[in-house]
Amino acid sequence: MSDDAKQDVRVRLYLAGDAPNSLVALANLRAVIAEYADVRADVEIVDILTDPERGLRDGVFVTPMLVKFEPSPVRFVLGSLCDRRFLLTVLGLHEPPRE
Amino acid sequence: MPTGITGFDEIADGGLPQGGVTVVLGGVGTGKTTFGMQVLAKGAIEYHEPGILVAFEESAGRVVANTSGFIWGGEALKDSGVHVIDAQLSQSVERSGEFDLSGLLAIVAAKAKQVGARRVVFDAIDILLSCLGDAASIRREAFRLRDWVNESGLTAIVTAKADESGERSTTDFDFLQFMADCFITLHHRVVHGIALRFIRVAKYRGATHSANEFPLVITRSGLELAANTSMGLSYPVSAERVSTGVERLDAMLSDGYYRGSSVLITGVPGTAKTSLAAAFAQAAARRGERTLYVSFDEAPDQIVRNVASIGLQLRPHIEDGTLVLKSLRGRAASPEAHVAEIRAFLAEFQPQNLVIDPLSALFQNGFDQVSEGAALQILDVAKSRGVTMIFTSLLGTATALNEQTPINVSAIADTWMHVSNVSHAGERNRTLTIVKSRGTDHSNQVRELVLTRDGITLANVYAAGGEVLLGTLRWEKENADQRAREMTKNEAIVRKQRAQLELAETKFHMAALAQKVAIQEEELVQLKKRTTAEVETRVGEDQERLERRHADETIATAPPSGATAEGAEAPNGRDRQ
Repeated sequence: MSDDAKQDVRVRLYLAGDAPNSLVALANLRAVIAEYADVRADVEIVDILTDPERGLRDGVFVTPMLVKFEPSPVRFVLGSLCDRRFLLTVLGLHEPPRE
Repeated sequence: MPTGITGFDEIADGGLPQGGVTVVLGGVGTGKTTFGMQVLAKGAIEYHEPGILVAFEESAGRVVANTSGFIWGGEALKDSGVHVIDAQLSQSVERSGEFDLSGLLAIVAAKAKQVGARRVVFDAIDILLSCLGDAASIRREAFRLRDWVNESGLTAIVTAKADESGERSTTDFDFLQFMADCFITLHHRVVHGIALRFIRVAKYRGATHSANEFPLVITRSGLELAANTSMGLSYPVSAERVSTGVERLDAMLSDGYYRGSSVLITGVPGTAKTSLAAAFAQAAARRGERTLYVSFDEAPDQIVRNVASIGLQLRPHIEDGTLVLKSLRGRAASPEAHVAEIRAFLAEFQPQNLVIDPLSALFQNGFDQVSEGAALQILDVAKSRGVTMIFTSLLGTATALNEQTPINVSAIADTWMHVSNVSHAGERNRTLTIVKSRGTDHSNQVRELVLTRDGITLANVYAAGGEVLLGTLRWEKENADQRAREMTKNEAIVRKQRAQLELAETKFHMAALAQKVAIQEEELVQLKKRTTAEVETRVGEDQERLERRHADETIATAPPSGATAEGAEAPNGRDRQ
C-alpha cells in the first residue's frame, strides 16, 4: 500500500455510556484504526446517555451503532463490532500484510 | 391506571398496573398498536398524561395515520400530548456483535422528561428483540426494559406478535409473560366468515381481574370491549307511558308502552313488524322526542317510502332532526361490531327512543353465543340510558309456529308482541297478539292488524263456531251483526209507533164517548122539560073537561114550579079518586 493510496475514514460511533457492548465496540474500532497508521481516521463518538437528543435527531436508538460516512457508501453496523474482518470491510480497509 | 378503553377497565381491576409493564400479545391485525395508541390518546386527552409510543415496526407517520379513523386519532394527537418515536431499524443496518437497549432507553427517558410523559408504549418489541439473536440476550434485554420501566415510574405497554392462536409469541418470547405485571392476549377468530376479535387478561399481578375471554370490537371510538360484566340491573324505571303509535294498541296495553322499556315484535316476513315500529317512531317524533331508527339491509329512503304508503310520514321528522334513520349491513361486520356501532350512535345522538329493525340481523349465523350476547348488550345499553326500545325479530316460518324467538331476548323484553299471518278462505290476514307485557294490564285477545292508507288499526276478531274470522269473513260478520242490530232497532221503532197509534185511537174513542155523554144528558134535560109542559097541558085540559061536566069538586091546580113532583102525584091522586 503506497502513500497515494492513503485513505480517509470518517465514522461516527453511537454509544450508551459504559454499557458493556458499547465499550467493546469502541475498543474494537480503536484497535483496528490503530493498526493503520497511514489511515487518516475521523472518529466521532456520540454518547446517547449524555446526549439523547442527538440519537433522537439522528434516528439512532440502538447502541452501539457505527455509521461509516467515508469512504462512501454510508453503512450502518449495529453491535459490538466483534468481527474484525467484517469491520475492516466496512471501513474499506485491507488486511495488512503479515510480517 | 385507566386505559380509556370502554369496558376494559372493568375487567382489569380499574386499568393497567401503574408503574408496571403490561405485555400485549396478539396476532397480525388484532389491534395491538391500536390498543397502545388508544391508551396513550385517552391518557393524554382524558387524564392529561402525555405519552410516547416507540414504533419498531412502522414509521411514526404511519402509526399516526392509522389512527385517523378514530375520533381520538389523527394528526391532532401530537398537540394533545401523544408522541411517536420512529425507532424502526433500517433494512440497511448490518449486524456485527452484540447490542443492547441502553441507548434506546436513554433516549426514551430523555423524551419522556422533555414532554412529561406518564405512559409509554413499545410497539412490536419482538422486531427489535429478534435482532438480538440469542435467547440469553433477548431475555437480558427484556429484563433491562422492565427494570428501566420500574425505575422510571412510567407505566409501560409492550406489544409483541403472536401466532394465530394469540397465546404464544411467534418468536417464543414466552418469558415476556413472566416478566410482565399484566399480560393481555388479543386474537382473531373467523366464525362463519366473520372476523371476531377477542381480548383476555391472562395475568394480572396483585389484582383481581376477569380472566375470561371477551369480544373486542373496533369502531370509530377505537377498541371497545363488548362485555359489560359489571353492569347490574339497576336501570332507571319509569311509570310513564308512551304511545305505540296505534290507538287501539295503546288501549290493549292500557295506555301504551312504559317509557324505557323494551318491546319485542316478532313475526315472519311481511307481518307488518316494520310498520308497527315505524308507527312508534312517528308517534315519538311527533311528541318531539329524539328517535333513532336502525335498520339492517334496508336503506332509509326505502323505509320512508314504504311506510308512507300506510300513512306514516317520517320525512318531516327526519328533516327537523328528531328522527335519525341509520342503515347497517347485516353481514358486513360481526354482531359485536354492530353493537359497537349502535352504541356509538346512541352516544352521538342521545335518543330517547331506539328502534332496531330487525334485531335478528345480528343472528346471521344461527343462534350463537356471540350474537345473543350482542343482542343483550344493545338491550342493556338502551335500558341503562332509559331509552324506550322497539326491536323487531324476524322468525323463520318453522319457528314462528310455536312463537319461539331465536334469543333469550324474548325473555328479557318487557313487552312481547307477535304478529302472524293467518290464511283462511283464500285470504291471508295479519293478527297481533300480546304475548306478554310486564307490569301492564294487557288484553289477551287476538286482534286483526289492518293496514290502511291512513295508518294501522286493530280490528276485533270474531270467533264463530270455534273459528277465528279475519279479513273478508270478519267484514261479512261485522256487516251481518250490523244488519241484525239495525233490524232490532227498526222493529222497536215500529212497535213504538204502533203503541202510539193505539193510544191515539183509544184517546179518540174516549173523546167520542164523552161527547155522546154530553148529548145524552142534554137529551135528558129536554125530555124532562117536555114532560112538565105536557103535564100542565093535560091538567088544563082536565079542568076544562070538568068545568064542561059542571063538576062540583075542584081539582087542585099544581103550582107552576116543582110541577114534576106535584104533577107526578096528581095522576096518582086522581087514581085514588
